[in-house]
Amino acid sequence: MIFAAATPDLTYSWNQALSDLGQVSAIAALTGFMLFAIIAELALPKPRRSGVVAMVAVTGFAYSLGTAAYRWINGLGGPAYHGYATGDSFALFFEILFAVLGILTVAVSHPYLERRGLREGEFHILVMAAVIGMMVLGSATSLVTVFLGLELFSIALYIACGFIRTDSRSQEAAAKYLLVGGFASAFVLYGMALVYGASGTTVIPQIATRLGPAAAGNPLLVLGIVLMGVGFAFKVSAAPFHMWTPDVYQGAPVPVTAFMSVGTKAAAFAMIVRVFASGLPHLGPEWQALLAFVAATSMIVGNLLAIAQTSLKRLLAYSGIAQAGYILIGVIAGGKDGLAAVLFYLFVYLFMNFGAFAVVTLLAGPDADHDRISDLDGLHRRNPLMAILMTVFMLSLAGFPPFVGFFGKLFLFTAGVNAGYTWLVVLAVVMSVVSVYYYVRVLVPVWSPTARTDELHAPVSTTAAIAISGVASVFLGLYPTWALIAGQVGVGPIAGP
Amino acid sequence: MTIGALSVIWLLPLIGALIVAFLPPHLGKYMAVLVAVAALAVAVYVAVLFAPDYHRFQFTETFAWIPQLHVFYRLGVDGISIWLVVLNAFLTTIAMLATPLSTRNVSRFLALMLAMSAGMAGVLMATDLVLFYVFWEAMLIPAYFLLWLFGEGERPGRAALKFVLYTLAGSLLMLVGVIGEYVFQNVLPGQQTFDLAQLPSVAPSPGIQFGLFAVFALAFAIKTPLFPFHSWVPDAYAAAPTPMLVTFAGMMGKTGAYGFLRIAIPLFPDPTGLWDWRWVIPVLAVGGILWGALMAIAQRDMKMLVAYSSISHMGFIVLGIFALNVQGQQGAVLQMVNHGVIVPALFLIVAWIQDRTGSRDRSSVFGLAPRMPILAGVFTVVALAALGLPGLNSFVGEFMTLLGAWERAPALAIAGAIGLVLTPVYMLRLFQGAMYAEKPYASEVDDIHAGQLTLLAPLVVLMFALGLAPGVLTALMTSVAQQGLAR
Repeated sequence: MIFAAATPDLTYSWNQALSDLGQVSAIAALTGFMLFAIIAELALPKPRRSGVVAMVAVTGFAYSLGTAAYRWINGLGGPAYHGYATGDSFALFFEILFAVLGILTVAVSHPYLERRGLREGEFHILVMAAVIGMMVLGSATSLVTVFLGLELFSIALYIACGFIRTDSRSQEAAAKYLLVGGFASAFVLYGMALVYGASGTTVIPQIATRLGPAAAGNPLLVLGIVLMGVGFAFKVSAAPFHMWTPDVYQGAPVPVTAFMSVGTKAAAFAMIVRVFASGLPHLGPEWQALLAFVAATSMIVGNLLAIAQTSLKRLLAYSGIAQAGYILIGVIAGGKDGLAAVLFYLFVYLFMNFGAFAVVTLLAGPDADHDRISDLDGLHRRNPLMAILMTVFMLSLAGFPPFVGFFGKLFLFTAGVNAGYTWLVVLAVVMSVVSVYYYVRVLVPVWSPTARTDELHAPVSTTAAIAISGVASVFLGLYPTWALIAGQVGVGPIAGP
Repeated sequence: MTIGALSVIWLLPLIGALIVAFLPPHLGKYMAVLVAVAALAVAVYVAVLFAPDYHRFQFTETFAWIPQLHVFYRLGVDGISIWLVVLNAFLTTIAMLATPLSTRNVSRFLALMLAMSAGMAGVLMATDLVLFYVFWEAMLIPAYFLLWLFGEGERPGRAALKFVLYTLAGSLLMLVGVIGEYVFQNVLPGQQTFDLAQLPSVAPSPGIQFGLFAVFALAFAIKTPLFPFHSWVPDAYAAAPTPMLVTFAGMMGKTGAYGFLRIAIPLFPDPTGLWDWRWVIPVLAVGGILWGALMAIAQRDMKMLVAYSSISHMGFIVLGIFALNVQGQQGAVLQMVNHGVIVPALFLIVAWIQDRTGSRDRSSVFGLAPRMPILAGVFTVVALAALGLPGLNSFVGEFMTLLGAWERAPALAIAGAIGLVLTPVYMLRLFQGAMYAEKPYASEVDDIHAGQLTLLAPLVVLMFALGLAPGVLTALMTSVAQQGLAR
């Protein structure tokens, strides 16, 4: 489908093909590694399978990361496939983000799957497929490619959610996610059809040029925006379309939850920014009003419902809903500052949220995930390093300086006030006070005096992943400039240099 | 970027904290004291080299931190903050020395204390609004863990959470204020600044100032604490362990008052909209003076009595700041230092009485003077200093604040003076009740030992020194305060 040309001119030279492939080389390389991993999974004898596949996956992500970083540094971005995809800095930013996420996920899930006695090879392949989908979404510049990426990562995640075949809750999560996700995809597709009907093209930059300011009165177009917005809100798990999130997060295996909580959100925000900010700039008032409503409800619902949770997965699910609300402020504010703040926040959210979930993976026993808040009891004696890192993640999510979460909020809120959305920022700040209550509540069992002294064993790879996340959460806070510059470069293709 | 003396003043305790946390108790305490003394030495060094005639920020350090948002790492001290920086380092040293080795997890306690001290030093030295905010929030984290993990009473976690949520409600709204000041300041686009030295000259329009002043003032009022935003104080002070109170009561509240003086007043010279905030705050301050004094009179628990007396005294400081004239503001800063010397001494004395008699209840502690003659002697000086006896330090500060308040509005000064009358009531009742009675305290109790006396000695010496020669402090502040009003 990618290769179908939008123009009647069907000539497609070999050189053009190579150049196009170069633009998406991070994705292409990862696809190659995934195919290799599938073959390795089939060919190797059982005992060695899982380790090899995990190595292939990590190598693939690292290679993809290297490719994207190389192209980023050398500024090699440009359109590809007749404008259906691109390798611009926005795409590269997300390719780097998702590759890092992939490495962290494999590092955390390898020991987790071993402990729970789950089949490993397929799991890593699913994660790779999902990452490929997310990367496609990041580099999509056509509604068709957007939908392709959306479905690719969603389907991989439907399967991953139900990965524990013997656990009915995992199965329930998969079924729920499949049904709701299918709904969301349908909404998005309907919306896209209407936008296509109004503009006559699916290529996003062309939509922007064809739909001038006069298009604002077109009811079908507005309906299309609303439908797409609803679908996107489903994917970023923003209220009032968030109902699936806590259940799915709770039922899915922890590494999948960790991966989803960051990956789905980042991919969906890439999609929102690309479609709305880049494709429909003239209809700003329409989608900004819609997203402002969604942001406000997300912040209220997420933060208030998180208070009552006893399961860490559910608590982090609701916290994720609230965080989606904060990030939406940046999207609504728009412009270079707002969108750069969004990218910055997504990048640092990767570390602080993934780190928090990664600590939860350590608690899992052979039979089930132990994810109640009280399961963290005595962590400061059972594993002091993890206790300190968990504290960093919680304080960072709560937005305490000098951790990075604060700077993320500072940039988002500054953009929000600058764009005249002071009421939304005040609401966000008030709800942040509420959020401190439940983030700190997680720390109570971590640091309380306890009788438990049995050591909590942390495998090397998990420790490394959590430590990297922790160090990033601290150092990106102490010196946020470079990450913010990266965000500004990343939004360059959309908001202008 | 070279690290200057001011960076050392906050980095030293912070790095020290990271090391102390992992040391065994004895070594940890030596290390903590060493770090605190070293930080104090640097602070004194800065104070000695401080040029009294130069009324801008001195020892400045500048480093582009987040240039995209015009955020700089800017440190500096002037005639107002230098004294508080020295006081903070000094009280930290006292607190380190006052920590008994028998405290549970003593190394961790000392580490958190050092971290909190680093945060407070940062607040006092930051001359960039965002940096100020970062330190302001960051000092909450160690304070929360100190109150929760080392707190006294039945549910210290509750008191800690109340303290954090209360102060956060204020300070997160202040974040909106910080952003608002950035967005609405009166400059051309692209030339915004967070520099506290420049912000007074680019103040936004009065209507915006009205709103921004409100959010900043709320944060500072909660921290100070200003009546009626003080309700976290009794719980938090009750829960706080004594060594923590030395800096928590002695210094943390001053950061709020300092915020009024450094940010709320100079940045928003005309915060008038529906009303003029510069009249609302002093009225609340007077309310705090009277309310704190009356509540102190009503307390049976000696620790609570001191806590409420602290609220009353903070009222004087805020009243002095909002006198908006040189005497008032000089008096306020002087009073910040005075209060920072007196309150830790009072809390230490109360704690030692409790150690020996097992109670803080005024009805069951009496007639201690014959049993503890040395403590009685020291307590006399501290109590007299606290009630503002001429010759001791509080008198000058309170006199200057009231003089300033009289110039602004005589009614404020008269109401404040009533508080001055109430102070001896609770202070003398506390002192007399505990020390003297018709017959001495029933059981034998030990007097304070030499170590404890040496701990109090520098505080008592300062009470005399500041009382007899306040000019040393005020001389440095004159130029700054006058400039502060001019802008």
